[in-house]
Amino acid sequence: MTPTPANPDERGTTLINHWQSGVPVTKGRVLTPFLAFLIVLAAIGLVLAGIRLVSPLGPFSAMNSAYAWGIWKTFNVMTLTALGSGPLALGMAAWVFNRQKLHVVMRTALVSGFLFYSTGLIALGFDVGRPWNFYNAVMPWRWNSESAMLEISICMPLYCAVFLSFEILPLFLERLYYTGNEKARAFLRHVSPRIRKVYPFVIIGAYVIPLMHQSSLGGLLLLAGDKINPLWQSPAMPWLYLVAAALCGFAFTIFLLLIVCLRYARPLDDSVLTELANLLSGVCFLFLAIRAIDLIWRGQLHRAFAFNEMSLLFLLETSLILVPAVVLRFRRFRETPRALLNMSALACVGGMLYRFIPTSIAYAPMRSTSYFPSVPELVMAVGYISLGIVAFVFAINYFAVLPGDASTWDHSFRPFGWRRQAPAPAAIPLLAVPALERGA
Amino acid sequence: MNILNMPLSRRQAFKAMLGLGGTVASAMLPTTALASTEEHPAHPIAPADAVAMLYDSTLCTGCKACMPACNEANGLPADTLLSGGVWDMPTGLNAQTKNIIELYQDPNSDEFSYVKKQCMHCLDPACVTGCPFGSLKKVDFGAVTWNGSLCIGCRYCEVACPFEVPQFEWEARNPKIVKCEFCYDQRLKENLEPACTAACPTGAVIFGKRDALLDQAKGRIAAAPDKYYENRVYGEHEAGGTQVLYLSSVSFQKIGLPKLGSTSLGHYATKVTSVIYKWLGGPIMMAGVLGFAIRRNWNRHELERLDHEKKTGFPDQL
Repeated sequence: MTPTPANPDERGTTLINHWQSGVPVTKGRVLTPFLAFLIVLAAIGLVLAGIRLVSPLGPFSAMNSAYAWGIWKTFNVMTLTALGSGPLALGMAAWVFNRQKLHVVMRTALVSGFLFYSTGLIALGFDVGRPWNFYNAVMPWRWNSESAMLEISICMPLYCAVFLSFEILPLFLERLYYTGNEKARAFLRHVSPRIRKVYPFVIIGAYVIPLMHQSSLGGLLLLAGDKINPLWQSPAMPWLYLVAAALCGFAFTIFLLLIVCLRYARPLDDSVLTELANLLSGVCFLFLAIRAIDLIWRGQLHRAFAFNEMSLLFLLETSLILVPAVVLRFRRFRETPRALLNMSALACVGGMLYRFIPTSIAYAPMRSTSYFPSVPELVMAVGYISLGIVAFVFAINYFAVLPGDASTWDHSFRPFGWRRQAPAPAAIPLLAVPALERGA
Repeated sequence: MNILNMPLSRRQAFKAMLGLGGTVASAMLPTTALASTEEHPAHPIAPADAVAMLYDSTLCTGCKACMPACNEANGLPADTLLSGGVWDMPTGLNAQTKNIIELYQDPNSDEFSYVKKQCMHCLDPACVTGCPFGSLKKVDFGAVTWNGSLCIGCRYCEVACPFEVPQFEWEARNPKIVKCEFCYDQRLKENLEPACTAACPTGAVIFGKRDALLDQAKGRIAAAPDKYYENRVYGEHEAGGTQVLYLSSVSFQKIGLPKLGSTSLGHYATKVTSVIYKWLGGPIMMAGVLGFAIRRNWNRHELERLDHEKKTGFPDQL
């Protein structure tokens, strides 16, 4: 074992390779006042959702038959699952394009992605009007195979419940291994080689399925036709939605890593972050290239510079993606955490704007109605997001999610339960266990 | 180790060839083989039994006899919100109104026109294309009907419909999609014409075969040139063609009929995806290609993992 020498925190100056494995946050209180506040928000949202279950949609939302989709669908699902595409973007980079460095941050991406998807699905569950008919999803002969909505309503729950859950399973098994008894360890020694056996096959599904439904989210809007401003309505929308998902996935993972490492005073890792920044910049350029070619191809470029409301929105969205794309080309900025944080935040907002605008702002039915989310609608949307943040904070405290120095962790975990106590010592000294048995 | 000098086993090579060949095939096949059996042609042809309504706004006197007739046939309550609970007075199509007569009045001139709104029963309806479990369906005579036992209430039909016809019951615990169904269950099945055309006293809206009505409409245009706006029938080509046809002396856009291209929305939305998802070919090929790359990188990762675990003593984390 070669312990990493302790480094003084050098955030903002130079970056040194510090990320070797997932390491849980074992110090400090979990339940901070801020987290308690988020728990209250989440509780209010879920209580409202519970009431919505026995009430019609009308009193809960400002949706109407012209603007039939409110922010639950357009923001919580269509926009936020782009941020939750980190597992897709990083996983493809790591496993398909062999960017081995990214394996260490996969867990962060996976947990955040899982939470974005699951909260989005909760939002969807309370948004649909006749959820009791959803049992049709298991009857393929009733499927309308040409519907993009079908693709999404089948693939999203499937992805979240099967593939993402499988990918985050090692978090739980690892904790069980180090904190459980001998029987549990024997069981895990038996199971983990099997998990490793099926893992490469399962992750094929974990990439193919989100490729399908992230592009189908754009495909949904094709049917809306002329209701969507021609700057956004385009046959390239499925591709752009997919690339925007990758863009947001990379950008949000960088953003999240930097924010959380700042919060928990973790040292950063130069090589992983610059790799991610490189990929983000590349995806941004790819997005802009497709967007430009699409606009020129359809002859709609003049609309982009008409400097009316829609054109300004388009220019805002494009510049929010263009700035990080260009800035992250420079090594000086790539290696400065502050610049990286700002640029990834800009890219996140830009990608989210692209995903959100055609569903709402540039969506103009001919009937003169308007839509602005009502208070319960907003409270529920905020509640779902808070639920995700709360779950993420718990996950990084109780499981080895965040990347860190392997030498700073003795494989002890924060115990579950309310009483505050010193973390139990690791079950077994590290080297006493043959390394190969500890698969998961 | 480099991807280029990594030895390939025979099996791996076959897999790669299958994947690459499949990708090439998926790009080339659809243009030839699938073109003949297209499910959503750009310009759909009306089925032989397609019925239609022809509404001529120059004949409509705005008596609204069709509205209570529609409510009665469909068992809909009167929308009395605006009239203080006295009579049926909807402001547009809504959860209690499948059919409505609207009035267009130009504030600056004496130009005015009535217009009847209901489902257009498109030849290739966008709502039917989008409906995930086939709750909305185009049935005999071309009527577009809704089946409550399949609907999950996603409201995609409302987003998809270019005429903004389907209405969701926002105030109901068991919300339904309310839209004109051509009186399919109530009357068409029993060889009766829809309630609204049966009730119309002036013949402003008439019922018949789509071909016959189209001919009749063109006959009216020919008999009175320049009486009708653009000398054409709205619905003949709009969104691929509809089974409700309009004649109007006032601009179609002014009376609330959207300006649409002649390509069906279903064609626009599915022309690429229907090829990619044909027999799930695209996803399966994608899985093949990804699987090949993942398998190789996985094997490399395993070698490095063992190496790394031996060196550091730290277990690898998935």
